[in-house]
Amino acid sequence: MDVNIPKLAKDLAKIVGKDHVFTDKPTSVVYAKDTMPWDVEEKNIPYAVVRPSNSQEVSKLLKYANEKLIPVHIHGSGTSLVGLARPKTKGIVLDTARMKEIKVYPERGYFEAGPGLHLVQVKKELAKYNAMLPLFPGSELVATVGGTVAVNTSAHGVDAALGKPGDFVLGFEVVLPTGEIIHTGTESTRRAAGIDPTKFFIGSEGLLGVLTLIRMRLLPMPYFEHLVAYYKRTEDILDTVMEMYRQGIHPPLFYEFLDERAAKIGFEAVGLKEPVGAVSMMRIHSWSKVGSEERAQNFLKFLEVGNPIEARIVKDIDEWNQIWSSRAEAGNYMYRLGMTFGSEISPRVDKLKDAFREAQSLILNLDSYKGNEFISFGHIGAPTIHAYAFIRTKDISNEVKKAITLEMREKTEELNIKYGGCGGEWGLTAQRVSFLKKKYEKEVYEVLVKLKKTLDPNDILNRGNLQGWI
Amino acid sequence: MDLTDDEMTKNTLLKEIGKCRACRFCVDVCPAYQATEWVESMAPYGRLQIIKYLLNGTLDEDDPLVYSLYTCLQCGRCDLLCKAKGQDLEVSNLIRMGKCLLSQGLVKGKKNEKV
Repeated sequence: MDVNIPKLAKDLAKIVGKDHVFTDKPTSVVYAKDTMPWDVEEKNIPYAVVRPSNSQEVSKLLKYANEKLIPVHIHGSGTSLVGLARPKTKGIVLDTARMKEIKVYPERGYFEAGPGLHLVQVKKELAKYNAMLPLFPGSELVATVGGTVAVNTSAHGVDAALGKPGDFVLGFEVVLPTGEIIHTGTESTRRAAGIDPTKFFIGSEGLLGVLTLIRMRLLPMPYFEHLVAYYKRTEDILDTVMEMYRQGIHPPLFYEFLDERAAKIGFEAVGLKEPVGAVSMMRIHSWSKVGSEERAQNFLKFLEVGNPIEARIVKDIDEWNQIWSSRAEAGNYMYRLGMTFGSEISPRVDKLKDAFREAQSLILNLDSYKGNEFISFGHIGAPTIHAYAFIRTKDISNEVKKAITLEMREKTEELNIKYGGCGGEWGLTAQRVSFLKKKYEKEVYEVLVKLKKTLDPNDILNRGNLQGWI
Repeated sequence: MDLTDDEMTKNTLLKEIGKCRACRFCVDVCPAYQATEWVESMAPYGRLQIIKYLLNGTLDEDDPLVYSLYTCLQCGRCDLLCKAKGQDLEVSNLIRMGKCLLSQGLVKGKKNEKV
């Protein structure tokens, strides 16, 4: 596509103001880069980065993009771990950062937030009303509320404990890919029954529209208790999680773990004594203090089924924060020592141990790289298996990084199919389209393509993600 | 063959910035990022990427906006964030080194109207 950049800059400036259009290459490169391990390529670098402040500007921008047939890639904070945030083709990056308004209506039982707010900012605002934000990505410092709802990621949260982000969404303002502004859902705390378009946009990964306002139910801040359990082996933790579901015990809000290797690295990074083996940590919630304490005591007793070396309730909040950091920042701490290549497997819970063993074997026998280690940490109580290939060097070419990523994706897709899962955290389109096609009947993918075409006939928004382009 | 000081600086920068995971945890604490209404190329993460892509030839010293390197106030807040939650990089020092290299290039005759 032949685009006249100065003309494009002038046209876009008419929509959002010249201070909010960037066509310089440095800014374009910065917005193209994400956490994917290989470098940005020329095809990823956008013509322009545009920063609208409201839905009217988004609308004009999308109408313009349709008229000129220029793809638009939505950018929250670029924290997706599977390439959602990297433009797959030349186009315009629509940065939501200036849409940061938040209004809390305690008398209505909800709040409304602009998509560009970082989660930590929303949490701070809600804390004034003693309300909890039920969104739990590890990247909350910078992840946006728009991106989190658009992926509907559970992240640290155990689905069976509280639900997913979308369960708290009452409605949206959305700009459709062709520029129309629509409103969905309700201003009541009672969510719509039946066909509610709100549901189409929850987890739509920016393919069907740009979320410009998110209305979510206010959730009273619960009381929390925290537990930590030390084990000789990861397998004891897997047994415990399986038994928890088998017995029908309400899971903790967070039920995380570090395997033997990850625990050593994580604990050392935060200045804690190296544990003997694997570690699990749990956050229990209840809306009464007595309730949370009782649940914690009961869960502590239940943990005996897995024969921990030690399990205890952590009352000192500083100690808990230190233990939690060893897990919450585990991904970054591993990365300090080399390269990590991740995967997301969410097996049927009665098959958790089988799936974990297979994931381990698969990662220790890669074709694209020899000599890597296996490491795992994450939301085991969900259950999610984050199986990582861990390589203790960063001296790996872009081609090899890509090959490892693709091989792991393809092979862990097979595990999700074999054990009945589909992820639950990282999203299902960008670079996982092959999984969708393998996992479900061909009509399922066709339905998604038809839905996309219906709302976005010129394939303007996030082009390439539904095609599975790398 | 002995490396010049500039070449050694360049190698150090490429090696250290190569450790950045692009987690962007450092952006919110940056005063310049806040002052520019949250433009990522005006944040520590963005400056590191600009230095990296300048050094590997993707960007040119003549590209406008490499001057974002000069918006760093050297306050060091990003260093604290990176140490606690990121890759433990001396972010502000790397930006200072990159800025010096860029300045030397500009003094040697490479032009950049914005600068």
